[in-house]
Amino acid sequence: MADGAIASHYQVLEELGRGSFGVVYKGIEKATGEVVAIKHIDLESTDDDIQDIQAEISVLSTCASSHVTQYKASFLRGSKLWIVMEYLGGGSCLDLLKPEPSVFSEPQIAIICRELLAGLEYLHAEGKIHRDIKAANVLLSETGKVKLADFGVAAQLTNIKSQRNTFVGTPFWMAPEVIQQNGYDYKADLWSLGITAMEMALGEPPHANLHPMKALFQIPKSAPPRLEGSFSKDFKDFISQCLMKEPERRPSARELLKHRFIRYAGKVEALQELIERRRNYDVTKSKKRSRPVYQETLQTMSTKDEKDEWVFDTVRSVMPRKATVKSRKPSSVFATEDALRQLDLKDGPLQPSSPATGTARKVTARRQPSVTQMTGTGSVRGPPPAPALRKPLQTDLSFGNSGSSQRLFRRVPSDSSASGNISWPDSNDVFTNENRTPHAAEANSKEAMLGRRLYSKAVDPALSELHAQTSALAKREALAKLSDAFATLDAVDPEGAYHMMQNLMANMGHDHRLSNAFLKSSTPLKSPNSGTQSGTVIIKSTPKQEVPSPAKLVLASNNPHLESHRRRRESTAVDSNGSPRRPVDREKAALVAKYPGREPPPGMEHSKKITDLVYGAWINGLRMRWPDL
Amino acid sequence: MSFLFGRARTRTNTLDLSKQAREHVLKLEVPGKAEELAKVLSQMKLILQGTPESDSTPDQVYQLVQGLIEEDLLLLLAQHLWRLPFESRKDTQVIFSYVFRFRPPTASPKTDPVALSYVVNNKPQVLLELCRGYEHKESATPAGSVLREVLKNEAAAAIIMYDDGEEPGSSLKGVTAIERERPQSGSGVFWRFFDWIDKSSFEVAADAFTTFRELLTKHKDLVPRYLAVNFELFFDRYNHVLVQSNSYVTKRQSIKLLGEILLDRSNYNVMTAYVDRGEHLKICMNLLRDDRKMVQYEGFHVFKVFVANPHKSVAVQKILLMNRDKLLNFLSHFLEDRTDDEQFIDEREFLIKQIRNMPPNPVPPTRQMPQGA
Repeated sequence: MADGAIASHYQVLEELGRGSFGVVYKGIEKATGEVVAIKHIDLESTDDDIQDIQAEISVLSTCASSHVTQYKASFLRGSKLWIVMEYLGGGSCLDLLKPEPSVFSEPQIAIICRELLAGLEYLHAEGKIHRDIKAANVLLSETGKVKLADFGVAAQLTNIKSQRNTFVGTPFWMAPEVIQQNGYDYKADLWSLGITAMEMALGEPPHANLHPMKALFQIPKSAPPRLEGSFSKDFKDFISQCLMKEPERRPSARELLKHRFIRYAGKVEALQELIERRRNYDVTKSKKRSRPVYQETLQTMSTKDEKDEWVFDTVRSVMPRKATVKSRKPSSVFATEDALRQLDLKDGPLQPSSPATGTARKVTARRQPSVTQMTGTGSVRGPPPAPALRKPLQTDLSFGNSGSSQRLFRRVPSDSSASGNISWPDSNDVFTNENRTPHAAEANSKEAMLGRRLYSKAVDPALSELHAQTSALAKREALAKLSDAFATLDAVDPEGAYHMMQNLMANMGHDHRLSNAFLKSSTPLKSPNSGTQSGTVIIKSTPKQEVPSPAKLVLASNNPHLESHRRRRESTAVDSNGSPRRPVDREKAALVAKYPGREPPPGMEHSKKITDLVYGAWINGLRMRWPDL
Repeated sequence: MSFLFGRARTRTNTLDLSKQAREHVLKLEVPGKAEELAKVLSQMKLILQGTPESDSTPDQVYQLVQGLIEEDLLLLLAQHLWRLPFESRKDTQVIFSYVFRFRPPTASPKTDPVALSYVVNNKPQVLLELCRGYEHKESATPAGSVLREVLKNEAAAAIIMYDDGEEPGSSLKGVTAIERERPQSGSGVFWRFFDWIDKSSFEVAADAFTTFRELLTKHKDLVPRYLAVNFELFFDRYNHVLVQSNSYVTKRQSIKLLGEILLDRSNYNVMTAYVDRGEHLKICMNLLRDDRKMVQYEGFHVFKVFVANPHKSVAVQKILLMNRDKLLNFLSHFLEDRTDDEQFIDEREFLIKQIRNMPPNPVPPTRQMPQGA
């Protein structure tokens, strides 16, 4: 393969960060000495059609503009695809927005907008639509040059097909016509540009306090956002021009370049100030952090990370999970890449948005521990897979993971997490968090297992949903705190969580009104134990969750802990509320029918709806596929 | 008066452009000619595309198309594509796709576009040269994009598949001269794709593969017939060049495409012939043991066709039976981590069941004829 040789033209240096699509390294083209960014995409780890990736590359390779990040080459090395791009040392606008006061000045925004318009004018003349303009996708060179990045690739290289086909982009920045899916053209980019300008002026895009899915409904419905406050008339007018809801009335990039706000914009060198600001911020940051608990290996590493990582916006903050990351020579990085990437891929920016992803991920994460526990080798269990994943409500200011549509969901005000060590504003703190994981309790007892399950199946999805539906900042904060607290409890004492719920249920059962309000009404048809609630919550809040893979249910059915628990619970259930047993029997029969020779999965009765749904679909699918059976 | 004047000028220009372009293309090595050509090409593009200020007029476009044909510029541009400057290659791509789509406003939408019909009947070399764009990395992407658009036309696809040099019945004399029942010698341009896909750099190989796949999947009459006549040659090359390629992408994609070809209903006869061969099964079973998981996975989707076939040949049964225990054991742990892929899990179970239930000794198949065959 001719490609093998090309790889040797580049020397790979340190890692810059990782994104949903792979790892980005800094590198040097040996012949010219030019610094480049090299994305490594492990094609083995994606089911995605390679053809799509290739299509994107061919689009990229036909772009040549000083306003668009320059594609240089791509080649294969084993199952890794290397994509060589221009290196931009200034970071993304999103990164640059981070240091206080978290906004850009008007003159700075004018410069950036002018450069972006020039980039868009080029793309549009080429018949290309960017489709994902936002601060995170605007990169700066060290000298202040502004370039559009992740043209197509960010949207296309991830592995969620449906989203790509329906709409591409990130909700808050999406033009109404894109959301409504009745066809859109290059004008959509100009809407996104307007939103990006507001993002730079205000620190976040309009509707950022909404759940992304809600924003999707809001944007077409409501009047276009307006820039309020002490901004110039020209700036406000520029925004309103960009944010014309009817694409026909929205001016083109070429026309907007003539706008007063743009015409008087200064030189790009003025933007170096922003880069400087960010550097200072990083320095102070890493100083502050030299104290925390973790070993020095992580220290040195994280400063390095900090410095290099923010160069690439699409790149999420690295969350190295294993000691392997300590030695960060390129060679060893190769070796550990795979292990790390798997974790990252699940965080892909185009995963279905928040609550569903968060919880779905948790379910898979949970599965493993439960297997090990059942076989009695609890020791295999490492730190609970990514405490990060377990906290969808957590304030997460980590920069760089901006490709994610979830980002802003997490971006609740920073003070919400100021209370103590649960806050981890960036990757560095993730280490601190890793540090805590040894405390995480092994869920060995049946109570603990149920506690875990309670958290993952009921409490967490419920809180996520609630959080998503809440818009008031104070309320969101409070919910976030509660979620944190519960997450901590779950990590440290799942058994405690179980007992708490038990007591809660019991107490509620004793109180006539409460039991009427909560226990009966919500679950008239099901056995009234703690499980029921989780069932309804799941069904209501995160439809994704009703479809756990059959394998998991089978697993659960074998679980001796659950079985004994069921026996116990049956008695408590009768105590607290003498509701008829019959529905349970029916469910049992149904389950027995599905698992001949097996006890109905104890403790699973409440999930009858779920199982029916899953197995119904599954069996139908089987029949369709193999009619001979 | 001025508008009349303007019109007249563009008209002469339009007629002239092709002549100018021809002169420049033939002297590309002369310094400065590339730039002049670039100018002409971008003017042509504007005539075809129109500008935001003025739409393109069918009249002008028609003249341009005529000019391009008269000056034989389509062939010249295809031949020299890789030597053109960066922007000119893109312009050329645009010119080709507009020209190949153009129908005079009076023509019925059912007729072939003028230039395409001309090329298919009188100048097949244009298409063959576009394919040869894969010889150079500069021309691979623009040529490939044009090809994929043109290939939607069955006659154009036939030109490429039935090119066989000077052989009688080759497409070189135009689409009507093709003899479809004559086996190919294997030296036509279609067979060059195997090398382009296997040996080129990623960008070229991937583009060539995309075109190759279009060729083999678009036309449900053309392809089954072609594969039936050229069965041995095609699958021999396919299995030995593409499926065994050293390139991960080529290997993985060609296994996937093999599965798609076999499972396409229009290829039913090709499929049954394919899965009768013990040789093919062996190749496929080796893929299951490849050290790359996605290769194993794609291999599985071909393997399942062998096993699910209710009329397995004796050769295939023998191989499966010889390896029955190994296969059962292997499959039960095969790609265990694909826990979310329900279809895969179902199919794996199905295969296990099928293999387990095979009679202990090979039974000669009693094949029913497929419907409609």
